[in-house]
Amino acid sequence: MKHFWALLFLLVPIFGVLTFVLAPYYNHSFPRDISENGRVIDQLFYFILYLTGVLFVATEGALFYFMWKYNGRTNREPVKYSHGSHTLEVVWTILPAVTLLFIAIYQMNAWADAKMRKPDIPVTAEITGRQFNWDVRYPGPDGILHTPDDIILVDGEIHFPAGEEILLSIKAADVLHSFFLPNIRMKQDVVPGMQQYMWFKCRESKAEVDIVCAELCGWGHYKMSGRATFEPRSEFNAWLAKKSAEQQAHRITQATP
Amino acid sequence: MNDRYSMRALALVTATAALVGCGKSDPPPFRLNMTNVVAKQIAPEHQQAIANILGAMFGTPDEPIALKETGLDQKKLDMAAGPVWSDKVGAKHGLYRRHCVHCHGISGDGRGPTAAVLNPYPRDYRMGVFKFKSTYTAAEPTNLDLTKTLHEGIPGTAMPSFALLPPDEVAALVEYVKYLSIRGQMERLLEDHASVELNAGDKFDPANDPAVQKLVMQDMLGPIMESWNGAKEQVINPEDASIPPDNRPAKELEASVKAGRELFYGTRANCVKCHGPTALGDGQQDDYDVWNKAINDFFKATDDKIGQIASLKTDLAKAQGDDATQIRQQIVDAQKEFNERHALLSSLLLPRNAIPRNLREGVFRGGRRPIDVFWRISSGIPGTPMPASGPAGEGAQGTLTQKEIWQIVDYVHSLPFEPASLPQKRPINASEVSTGE
Amino acid sequence: MSTITADSHAHAHGEHAHVGSFLSTYVFSRDHKVIGIQFLFSTLVWFFIGGLLALGVRWQLAYPWSDMPILGKLLFSAQGGQIAPETYTMLFTMHASVMIFLVIIPILAGAFGNFLIPLMIGADDMAFPTLNMLSYWFMWPAFAAFGASFFIGTGPMSGWTSYPPLSLTIEAQKFWLVGLTCVGVSSMMGSVNYLTTIIQMRAPGMTMFRLPMTIWAMFITAVLQAFALPVLTAAGFMQLADLTLGTGFFIPEGWSANNTLHAAGGGQPLLWQHLFWFYSHPAVYIMILPAMGMVSDIIACFARKPLFGYKPMVYSIAGIAGLGFIVWGHHMFVSGMSPVLGMTFMVATMFIALPSAIKVFNWLGTIWGAKIQFTTPMLFALSFVAMFIIGGLSGIFMAATPVDIFIHDTYFIVAHFHYVLFAGTAMGVFGAIYFWFPKMFGRMMNEEWGKVHFFLTFVFLNCVFYPMHILGWVGFPRRLADPYHYETFRHLLALNQFITWCAILMVASQIIFAINFFYSIFFGPVAGRNPWHSNTLEWQAPSPPGHGNFDFQPVIYRGPYEYGSPEVDIDYYPQTMPPPQNRPAAVPAH
Repeated sequence: MKHFWALLFLLVPIFGVLTFVLAPYYNHSFPRDISENGRVIDQLFYFILYLTGVLFVATEGALFYFMWKYNGRTNREPVKYSHGSHTLEVVWTILPAVTLLFIAIYQMNAWADAKMRKPDIPVTAEITGRQFNWDVRYPGPDGILHTPDDIILVDGEIHFPAGEEILLSIKAADVLHSFFLPNIRMKQDVVPGMQQYMWFKCRESKAEVDIVCAELCGWGHYKMSGRATFEPRSEFNAWLAKKSAEQQAHRITQATP
Repeated sequence: MNDRYSMRALALVTATAALVGCGKSDPPPFRLNMTNVVAKQIAPEHQQAIANILGAMFGTPDEPIALKETGLDQKKLDMAAGPVWSDKVGAKHGLYRRHCVHCHGISGDGRGPTAAVLNPYPRDYRMGVFKFKSTYTAAEPTNLDLTKTLHEGIPGTAMPSFALLPPDEVAALVEYVKYLSIRGQMERLLEDHASVELNAGDKFDPANDPAVQKLVMQDMLGPIMESWNGAKEQVINPEDASIPPDNRPAKELEASVKAGRELFYGTRANCVKCHGPTALGDGQQDDYDVWNKAINDFFKATDDKIGQIASLKTDLAKAQGDDATQIRQQIVDAQKEFNERHALLSSLLLPRNAIPRNLREGVFRGGRRPIDVFWRISSGIPGTPMPASGPAGEGAQGTLTQKEIWQIVDYVHSLPFEPASLPQKRPINASEVSTGE
Repeated sequence: MSTITADSHAHAHGEHAHVGSFLSTYVFSRDHKVIGIQFLFSTLVWFFIGGLLALGVRWQLAYPWSDMPILGKLLFSAQGGQIAPETYTMLFTMHASVMIFLVIIPILAGAFGNFLIPLMIGADDMAFPTLNMLSYWFMWPAFAAFGASFFIGTGPMSGWTSYPPLSLTIEAQKFWLVGLTCVGVSSMMGSVNYLTTIIQMRAPGMTMFRLPMTIWAMFITAVLQAFALPVLTAAGFMQLADLTLGTGFFIPEGWSANNTLHAAGGGQPLLWQHLFWFYSHPAVYIMILPAMGMVSDIIACFARKPLFGYKPMVYSIAGIAGLGFIVWGHHMFVSGMSPVLGMTFMVATMFIALPSAIKVFNWLGTIWGAKIQFTTPMLFALSFVAMFIIGGLSGIFMAATPVDIFIHDTYFIVAHFHYVLFAGTAMGVFGAIYFWFPKMFGRMMNEEWGKVHFFLTFVFLNCVFYPMHILGWVGFPRRLADPYHYETFRHLLALNQFITWCAILMVASQIIFAINFFYSIFFGPVAGRNPWHSNTLEWQAPSPPGHGNFDFQPVIYRGPYEYGSPEVDIDYYPQTMPPPQNRPAAVPAH
């Protein structure tokens, strides 16, 4: 068939677009967003997706069309002996440049919010990534970190108050790790010797989501799973009190191992 | 290009690739404790007999047997055992291999492939010795102890926390660890028996010999199971009277810390001998824990064999007649043992000293609650040079009273917050911190 | 202007007239064509090895902790064939390291650069033939070092990016770094050679703007190599010093890992990232620009019309290269680097899409109004364009820093770079092999099997790498031996299995290429000088060219893309063909 190759190339934009259109229906798109500001990232992603989608269809479509129309076996016309078009070059330089500049400026605010505008609130918890676990240290009743009443937990279950802005102090104990909360759309690499911060707000009153390590930290990189539990402030305080008491346990009861 | 030729070539290459790629691995077997076997020079036929006994009692890594006498739960063992990618639809399977085998090994010997890069090495369950538990020194851990280790991991080591696994999976893994431990302990007793009691050519077959059956089940397995089943009764419950009250006023806490400090530096507890006068763990650092000691002894004995063979050869030069024949036989035996030992050396992990804990770091491997630290001091850390300062059993007398141990607990808890323990701010690193606190 | 006169050329010819031993002709040859083919064979072997390593990665992701074919039986029979997690980490580390340093970089510059540059510019060999030979033989210590590193402990397992402090805990990294340094030295030797040759040894009439795009691309790539590699080499030595001499370039004060305290400190882990990416970002352009150049030549040839926008194409390559030096921080947006600095890198990164887009438009312009011959090389070249569009557009997502917060270190990134490197460059390389095979070996590869190879590779690669965008959309992280530990990713197993099976079929399809390639070297139909009726200079030399390349003195009259010119009746117009007497040149050479 004379146009076999053109049709093969036509499958690229067809399947390319279909894949992205159908993926959300099979739960193969963004994980559930429980954060206050995560939707800015989602919206930016979709904006770029639609824009690049249009460009994708246009360019791949042009490629298909030219492969079809100018197929040497069917095209009887002489070749268009042209070395280029100055006008076209200017047009297809200026237009993409303006678009790219627009995207660049459009997103600066979101980036600043996520990484540069640290809120002036006390630290909710200090999280340390180590090979291969996430440890958390809460300030304890005195509200100050690194005092004897801190609550230190090493089982990867980290609770946060929901519905309020949270500031986390994050660090690494040994090698590079990365604290990634897919459902909050936040990620920050932690570097030994460097103090990092992360801030966000959960807009749901109750949620349990994964904490993922997103920077290769050794053979156990995959084992560093954690779970972030968001709950109302009152429940969070109660949980903290319970953990504080457990940490002070001088005896065992049937419930505690 | 000739199409027939190309088709034949294509077919040949594809067939080769398929053959190479589709070689499935055999189901993995349990391995005998070869260091012990070689060290005790157990004859091959006895090795086989031991393997058969263990196989009949405990099954294989793919198909474990929960022997009635052990009281283990077959369902839990089935969940933990077997390959990860199995076709048991709907059923959980292969938990041990998914989570544990690459460090702890298929036989629970702590020699999985990853073990070589870890510091400290993963636990070898086969001695039935566990470091972090709530029971008296010589007793086994309770189910709750093992569950806690899985829940919290062991901070300061590569053992991660498995708290996020569903409780039924954690319970299955705990059961499987016990299973591997019991099996390992059983193996050790069988090997001891073979090395001490059996001569070449002796049969060792409980299936066909009621006396051996009784020996194995009652005299060997019996005490093992008694110890495991009795662990619950061996839990150290501190007396209420000794326990400090909650929310003590600061002065009382200070006094307790001060008393603890004196005990720490005192001669009865003698903590500084190992933990050092600085509490940095820089006291005695050349001792071994039992697991590394076994390997170290194996290395040393192998080296000694060289000397032994040399001295036998000198004797041979001076000996005559029957003496000479005897010495020749000894040399042959020694050489055979040396060869077996030498062949095993490359598969062993290099022995490491037991380094006492740096108490100023604030990392508590066995748990940081006061009761956890109490247990460490009271019953020591079994298998390591950390001795028990409390009583050895119910009703016995220890070196320290419970009240004194609580005071040391308070002191140990205060150590990471002493000014000397906190991160020191040096001018050269002040700008390292990216955004100040 | 060329500085070689006819006299010195004849003199140089005489020098090549001697006959050497087998060793000096085929092993330690200083002939650029032999060296190019040596590079080609070596890199194709490593291509196969790198592909197998990737299949190991894919198997684990499809059937985690199952009995792995070959490797399981060989090394892990004690555990029933399931690999250990550090093995998985080694597999993806070495897959990337091998593919980048032992395959793509050497095949583009070493194989094609070497073979084509003197031929396309009308020189009889490179400016420094001995240096050229050394640049090939410096790859062998790299092969040995990388090969040896597999057997040291767990093998290198800190990713191909070798970030400290993790990389400082791994024994095998020492060998890996030595290998890297050898590749760097080889590349630097090559780039010096290429720059000098292209500037100094062009035939009479071959002005810079009459050079084929392949040469421009090789030229600018050589500039990239020369300026970026020293930084990587220095960084490599620093990390080697940290590993062996106890220095602390990348180690913070009081650092300990695995319960081992390190003496030196006061360093900064992020320093490595900056130094590494200062080279490795230009490296990715090193890994695509030559392919872009070759694709331009192939498309113009089989479109039978001039390349659309020759000068903009040249300036675009220069633009990509220039901008390529100021975007390295986009690999480090969430690394702990200052976010203000991140913003500046973001702007530069956005703009690097521009010259790439211009190139795509010009390729489309080239096939507009053409008479396309769908030969195997043309199919691969067109697929380069189609796939590069995908790879380039997906780059815009990660240039947007807020989006990068989410997709960094996920499979979205993996999809992006496999589209540009495999679906782009590797397809371009395949096309180049099919295209220049007659010139290299004097025979044609089989056209039908070439098309079968193209079809299968094209279909399967899209089945493998396109779904990875979707995986990244869910946040599926890279480099995890068992991602299904996480609730969020458990439902992605089926898609991963699909990808794995398509990957296995894709690698299997390359067997067709391998058979075609080796069979045709010995039994392919004999090719003449110019089987494709192409304009560029190499097609005027014999197939394969002998010592000294040309059996006449080439003189250049026009640019390389005068296909379908009204000056002549045939549809191509070789650069060396003098204009017909009765008709003046219709188009000024530019």
